Amino acid sequence: MWGTNLKILGVVLGTIAVYTLLANAIPQIESEVPEELSFTGEVSAEELIDAGEQLYAGAGGCTACHGLGTRAPNLLTAQGSEGPIGARCGNRVPGEDCKTYLHRSMVEPNAHVVDGFQPIMPDMSRTLSDAQIWSMIAYLQSQGGEVTVTSSDLAAAAPDAASAAGGAAAGPSATTDPEALLRELQCVACHKLGAEGQEVGPPFDGIGARLSPDEIRGAILDPAATVSPGYEQFAGVMPPNFGSRLTAAQLEALVGYLAERR
Amino acid sequence: MTRGTIRTSAAGIAALALLVLAAQSGWAQEAAAAGPREYGSFPWIGSRTAIWIAAEVHLMFAAFVLGVPMFAVVAEAIGIFGGDERYDRLSKEFTRLLLIAYSATAMWGAVLVFLLTTLYPRFWAHMTEIFEVSMWIYVGLFFVESFTLYLYYYGWERWKQGRAKLGHWTLGILLNVWGTAVLFIADSWLTYMMSPPADVTPDTSPAMVQAWSAFANATWMPINIHRLIANVVFGGSIVAAYAGYRFLSAKTDDERAHYDWMGYVGNFIAIGALIVLPFAGYYLGREIYEYNQQMGITMMGGFMSWLWIIQAFLIGVLFLAGNYYLWVGMGRIPGAERFLPYTKWMLFVLIIGVIVWSTPHTMIADRAELEAMGGSHHPFLGVLGVMSAKNTAVNLMILTTFLSFLMYRRANRRPVVGWARTGTILQAGLFVIAAAVVLFYGVYGYFVSAIVRIGFSVYQVLAVLATIIGVMALDVAMLRGSESRGEIRWGQMPPRSQYALFVLVVTFTWLMGLMGFARSGIRQHWHVWEVMRDTSQWAATPALGFAAQIISVCVIIFLGMISFIFWLGGLVEKPQLVPKGR
Ligand code: HEC
Ligand code: HEC
Repeated sequence: MWGTNLKILGVVLGTIAVYTLLANAIPQIESEVPEELSFTGEVSAEELIDAGEQLYAGAGGCTACHGLGTRAPNLLTAQGSEGPIGARCGNRVPGEDCKTYLHRSMVEPNAHVVDGFQPIMPDMSRTLSDAQIWSMIAYLQSQGGEVTVTSSDLAAAAPDAASAAGGAAAGPSATTDPEALLRELQCVACHKLGAEGQEVGPPFDGIGARLSPDEIRGAILDPAATVSPGYEQFAGVMPPNFGSRLTAAQLEALVGYLAERR
Repeated sequence: MTRGTIRTSAAGIAALALLVLAAQSGWAQEAAAAGPREYGSFPWIGSRTAIWIAAEVHLMFAAFVLGVPMFAVVAEAIGIFGGDERYDRLSKEFTRLLLIAYSATAMWGAVLVFLLTTLYPRFWAHMTEIFEVSMWIYVGLFFVESFTLYLYYYGWERWKQGRAKLGHWTLGILLNVWGTAVLFIADSWLTYMMSPPADVTPDTSPAMVQAWSAFANATWMPINIHRLIANVVFGGSIVAAYAGYRFLSAKTDDERAHYDWMGYVGNFIAIGALIVLPFAGYYLGREIYEYNQQMGITMMGGFMSWLWIIQAFLIGVLFLAGNYYLWVGMGRIPGAERFLPYTKWMLFVLIIGVIVWSTPHTMIADRAELEAMGGSHHPFLGVLGVMSAKNTAVNLMILTTFLSFLMYRRANRRPVVGWARTGTILQAGLFVIAAAVVLFYGVYGYFVSAIVRIGFSVYQVLAVLATIIGVMALDVAMLRGSESRGEIRWGQMPPRSQYALFVLVVTFTWLMGLMGFARSGIRQHWHVWEVMRDTSQWAATPALGFAAQIISVCVIIFLGMISFIFWLGGLVEKPQLVPKGR
């Protein structure tokens, strides 16, 4: 009987092993989360294009439709007799310049449906933030055209970036990546982080050597309670409301990150 | 706290005192973050894996306890109305397996709920706010279902005769009604996550969501139907494996005969339901496309495209193992020898089918084609190109399997009706026409655009369905009053055939895990598609290799537990055997 039992076990485990190995033998593709972009201050066109290209080819999901030639118009290559998207975007709708047209294509895709295609292009504002959308527009413009997206487009979009990012209940976004948070919450507008940022308050470099995690947490939650030596003249400048803008996880991520910077 | 100048105002001191206190006692974070935490964390394997395993194993048990009552009740009916006592026994034995598996289902359900509340509190709060009423009904149904099951099983011998037996059968039907209701409710939750109503956006407060529109969302019915059928397949295959095990360990010929027969019935149910499953799959796929093109495209052509290759391979194994079992089984049917020569051709068709269906070669050729067209950077879109070939292969495999069943049915019978010859020729004609239609559209598919090509699969499916129905109708009429060429010699089955049953059950279980991954994976980094983002560190959807490992773990846990449960059941009660043959 034990012989039979072992044989059965062998067949069962063997079958499972074959399937597992097979699934590991094929190309491994992960579906990534579109990386939230947080540009501060001036953004160069190159930065935008780079970010846009990554989104376009990856987590943005555009290549599921674009590039096949049949389901959606080619964007990077010529579509019919027209050039790539950067070259043709300005001639699509009379009176609409390239930038406006591309933006509308992304957030109001059914306002103008390209001849010969079905209105299946999703409204990208449901899934992507404005910064992400603008960077992709910059990338598309760079395909045979001139990039006219600038930081001002991003800035204009900023107020509702939080709602476009969607879903996150608290704070501007729900990321717990401390570096992203430092940029998003504009901490770097007042604190130097490496070469980045302005020095209004004490630099973050070496902060872990000066302060304990509890002190760092205290300084973020209630900046007025203690004032850093040498920065007395700026006392009261640091916004006191980060406590209510951060989730507990985000706060702890920040504290942990800063405490590590010795 | 020695740094800096301490402000001397009273407020400052108060604030400082509070701060020191708060920082030391550690409640500063809670107080400051204002609101419940969003995610918990699970040690070692992480939240995502923990919830994944809990949900999948729960689902496997649930599928089993929902699938089995369906054919228990059918078997009981055959016993009552056909007067075949064996079926009544069989039905009772199914139900006994059910009884113990039921509590395992509930246990895993509890594990799932507790993990959800502790690891995904924000998401759980969202769901409960929308679905609270259906959740109450759900647990209520649990009571009703359990007690119906107890009555059904423990009342078996008591209500065995006459009208009482019909009453007992009604209990079985009720059991299915409750089970289906439970399934439909649970489906509404998970389909809501996939396809929330279009008017729900990230800014919609859950309290404002219309409960019914969330409940009966776009993919709810297709998933219901798909799961109902899949549960039958799954239950059948587990019962068959159970019988296979009992067959191998049987001590007497009677026992062997009984379990041989039970294995046959289980396998018949599994493969029979499997044949209709792809149609339910088409329906589901179409609804997904209609709900959201991008989701459909992600599913078929995006990062998941390789998944369908693996799926094809698994389904190929199912067809091969199922047919192999039938062919070996012909050895115990007098008169089946005359069909044996055909099986090698059928094997040939099946193997070609599997190869076509799961080969990546055509895909590469297709990609080159696309690139020549000025096309894609995306290396995996090529899969869509071979949809034609894949559909053709699966339809031919379904036809072949159906032919196996037909031969099985026919093996020990000799039709007596005058038109038997014409009938057989007609049947053969139907097969040829169906195969021709399938092949024609398969080849033609290469010459038309993708949009047109998708429509072709409908013609292929219709041709196959029509043939199955037509041939079956002819067959039933033709065998009416037929002569027997000899009894099936139940129990005279080589042991190797039983291993096919184990391959079948593992493959079904694994396939279920894979499809579960596909279904919840197409949501990608959303808890609720385009409504609630997954912002945890586990938001990315893993690649297939990793998924396969988790699926394998789930399969091993499930099969391990269910074997233990069956073993327990065997300790309690020796099944009463009914002498073979009738
Ligand atoms: C579900 C398929 C699908 C996805 C995914 C998709 N698109 Fe589209 N897109 C289309 C279709 C179809 C059209 C043409 C019809 C129309 O104009 O709406 C189109 C049109 C466009 C146009 C206008 C093209 C022209 O020639 O004027 C732009 C620009 C565009 N898409 C950008 C994108 C970007 C960027 C992404 C990824 C973030 C994306 N699309 C994702 C299907 C899709
Ligand atoms: C508007 C400018 C401003 C912004 C924005 C700002 N801070 Fe500050 N921060 C200051 C100033 C000024 C001080 C020093 C004076 C004080 O302690 O009140 C300070 C002090 C601190 C300290 C104590 C440093 C030490 O060495 O004593 C920490 C920690 C800190 N900030 C963290 C943060 C974090 C984290 C953020 C973003 C979430 C942030 N700050 C955003 C201006 C700012």
